[in-house]
Amino acid sequence: MKLYNLKRHCSRPLGPTTLRAALMLAACFLAATAAPLAAQQAGQNDPRAVKIVEGYESKTSLKGLEVTTTFTLVQKKKGEADRVLQVKVYRRDSADTFTLIFQYPDSEKGKGYYRSGDDLYLYLPSTREFVYRNRKDDVGSTEVRTDLFGQTKTLEQYRVSYLGTATVSKWDCDLVRLDAKQLDVSFPVQKWYFRKADGLPVKVENLSVSETLLRTFYYIDYATVAPNKFIFSKFLAVDNLEQGQQTFLTNENISTAAIPDYVFSKAFLEEQSR
Amino acid sequence: MNMLFRVAIKNVFRQKKRSFTLGVNYAIVTFILVLLFSFSQGARVNITSNLVRSSAGHITISGQYIVSGRVYNGLLRTPEIIATTRRTLGADTQVLPRYLLSSAVYYKGLSKRLSFVGIDTGMEQGFRDQITFAAGDWQGFVDGPNAVIIPQTTAEYFGLGYDEEVLISTRTRFGAFNTGTLKIKGIYTTNNFFIQNQVLAHLEFLRALDLAPEDAASTLYVYLPSTSGLADKRDRLIPALESIGFEVSKPKNDTEAVAAITAASPRYELDKEGRDRERLTLATIDEVLGLVRNILNAVNGVGTLIAAIMLFIIAVSIFINLRMSINERLREIGTLRTIGMAAGGVTGLFMLESILLALIFSLIGTGAALAAAALLRFVIVLPLSGNAALFLNQGHLMLVPRVTDILMIIAIITGFSALFSFFPARRGGKIRPVEALNRVF
Repeated sequence: MKLYNLKRHCSRPLGPTTLRAALMLAACFLAATAAPLAAQQAGQNDPRAVKIVEGYESKTSLKGLEVTTTFTLVQKKKGEADRVLQVKVYRRDSADTFTLIFQYPDSEKGKGYYRSGDDLYLYLPSTREFVYRNRKDDVGSTEVRTDLFGQTKTLEQYRVSYLGTATVSKWDCDLVRLDAKQLDVSFPVQKWYFRKADGLPVKVENLSVSETLLRTFYYIDYATVAPNKFIFSKFLAVDNLEQGQQTFLTNENISTAAIPDYVFSKAFLEEQSR
Repeated sequence: MNMLFRVAIKNVFRQKKRSFTLGVNYAIVTFILVLLFSFSQGARVNITSNLVRSSAGHITISGQYIVSGRVYNGLLRTPEIIATTRRTLGADTQVLPRYLLSSAVYYKGLSKRLSFVGIDTGMEQGFRDQITFAAGDWQGFVDGPNAVIIPQTTAEYFGLGYDEEVLISTRTRFGAFNTGTLKIKGIYTTNNFFIQNQVLAHLEFLRALDLAPEDAASTLYVYLPSTSGLADKRDRLIPALESIGFEVSKPKNDTEAVAAITAASPRYELDKEGRDRERLTLATIDEVLGLVRNILNAVNGVGTLIAAIMLFIIAVSIFINLRMSINERLREIGTLRTIGMAAGGVTGLFMLESILLALIFSLIGTGAALAAAALLRFVIVLPLSGNAALFLNQGHLMLVPRVTDILMIIAIITGFSALFSFFPARRGGKIRPVEALNRVF
C-alpha cells in the first residue's frame, strides 16, 4: 500500500538515483516494521520497547528509598455493597522486600503479607500460621495483586515488543506488548500504554494465554516520592469478565522515613496481630 | 419342657396391658435397629455403586510429576500406564482416563465456579446411561470438541440454553490464566449424587486449556471383570509400574485415598528434592470408601447407643413387671412347687414367658421395619437435592435390610430379656411352697 502510494504521487519516471533512494527508503521502512515482529517471533526483546520499560522501571523503582504508605481499596461488585479494605505497606526495594498489613476492616485486621524476593508469605492471625504464596496472590480477594506493591521485574519475566502509539484519555502513549517467558505469571500477555510525556504507564491490559482480555488496570495518578521517582496514588483495576466488578485504590500518607529492619520479618507480622 | 412351653405361651398375655406396654418397647427398639442397619447397608451399596459409575475405579491411579523443582498434580505417560495395567491385570481390564478441572464460567454478567470432568468419549460411554437429557443429546456432545453437557441447575442459574456459548477462564497448572469457549450441547439431570453438579467436557479440551502435555491425565480408573482380591491385584500392578520408571505407593490412610479420586488440576507446589520424577498412588475402592465406612459405623454407633438407653429402660420395666407378676401369682407358684416342680422350673417358666414376649414383639418390630423400608425404598420419592441425595437411588431412600443383621438384633434383644428376667425369676423360684401358699409379698 505504501509503495503503491509512493508510485502514484511521483509526477515523473524515477531516475536511477531516485530509484535507489526509494528502494533504500522502502528497505528501511520494511526493516523498521518487520524487526519487532521478527524479534518477537525469535523470542528476542525489541530494543525500543526495552528502553521504554527500563525507563518506566527506573522511575518507579524506589531503590535507595524506604517507603511507607497506606492504601485504601474499595471493591465494587454488581448487586453488592462496596467492600473497603485498608492496608499499610512498608517497602524496601534495595532488599527486594515488602511487608503489608491489613488495618481495616476488623475481620481482616492482623492479616498480612511478607515478601522476600520471590517468596511471599501470607500470615493468618486466626491460626497463627504463615502460608506460602507466590506473587500472583490477589489481595483480600480483590482485583489487585500483591506484586503491585513491590518493585517490578518486567524484563526478567517477559519478552517485550513495541506495537506503536495509541491515545488513552488525552495522552499520547507508546504501546508495548509483553509476552511471558514462562507461564508462571498470572497474565501471560499484557499490553502496556506508556504516557509519552513522562514514560509512566497509564493503562495495562491483562490477557490470557488465548488472548482474552481479563483485567484492565488504570494508573490514574502518580505521586512524586523523590526527584524522578514516582509511586501511583490512584489506581483502578477493572475485571473484564465479571461485569461491574472493579477495585479502586488510593495511596495516601506516603512517607520516606527510615524503616527499622525488624519490620521486614515474619516476627513483625505476628507481633502486629496481637 | 413341652408343658412348660405351653404354660409360658398361655401366660405371656395373661396381663394384657402390662405385656403390651413392655412389648411395644421391644418392638420400637427392634424397629429402630433394623432401620438403622438397613440404612447403613443401603448407603454403603448406593455410594459404592454411584462412585464406581462416576468418580472412582475399582483401582484409581492418581499421581504427581515433578519437573524442574515444581510438583504438578496429575499423570504423565498415560498410554504407557494403561498398556502396563492391561498387560498385568488382563486384556479385559478397562482403564479410563479423566481430566478434572475446577474453573470459573462467565455468561452475560454472571459467573460461577464449576467442576469439570473431562472424558475420552471414544473410550467412555458410561455417563450416557446415568443422565437424562433435558436438551441436546450424547452424539452432539461427542461431535463437538469444545462441547459440554451441563446440569440443569447450572443451566437455570445462568439462563443458558442448548447451543449457546460460554466463556471459561482458568488458572492453569503453571499459574497463567487461560480462557476458552464452551458450547452447550446438552443439559441433564441425574440420580447419581456424584455427578449431579459436574460439567462433562472433552478430556482433550480441558487438557489443552490447562496447558498440559498430550499424554497427561488427572486420574486413571481401572475397572476389573471381578472385584475380588482387589488389594492383591493392586500389589501385582505396583512392581509392573515401578519397572517402567514410576515411584508407586499405596494411600497411607482413608483421607489420602479420597484425595486420590478428588484431585483436580491444580497450581504447582515447590519441590526441594532436586530431581525430576513421577509418583503414582494406587487406591482401591475399599480404601476410598474407608472414610464412608467410618462415618456409617459412627451413625450405627449413635443408633446403638440410643437403643442401649431404651434397653436399659426396658430392663427396669422387666424387673418391675416380673416382681409384680410373681406377687400376683404366689398361689400358682405354691401349687406348682407342691405338685413337684423344682425351683429351677419356676425360674425357667418366668424367664421363658419374658423371652417369648421379647421374641414376639421383636418379630413385630422387624415386620414393621421391613414394611417401612419397603415403603421408603419403593414407594416414597424424596427430592434429589443437597447432600441427602447421597443416600437416594432414583429418588428413593436406599434401605437394604440384611438377614444376618435382623437375626443378630433379635438374638440380642431376646438374650437381653433373658438376662434381666433371670434375677427376679430366680427370686420367684426360691420361694418355698408353704410360704407361697400362705404369704403375700
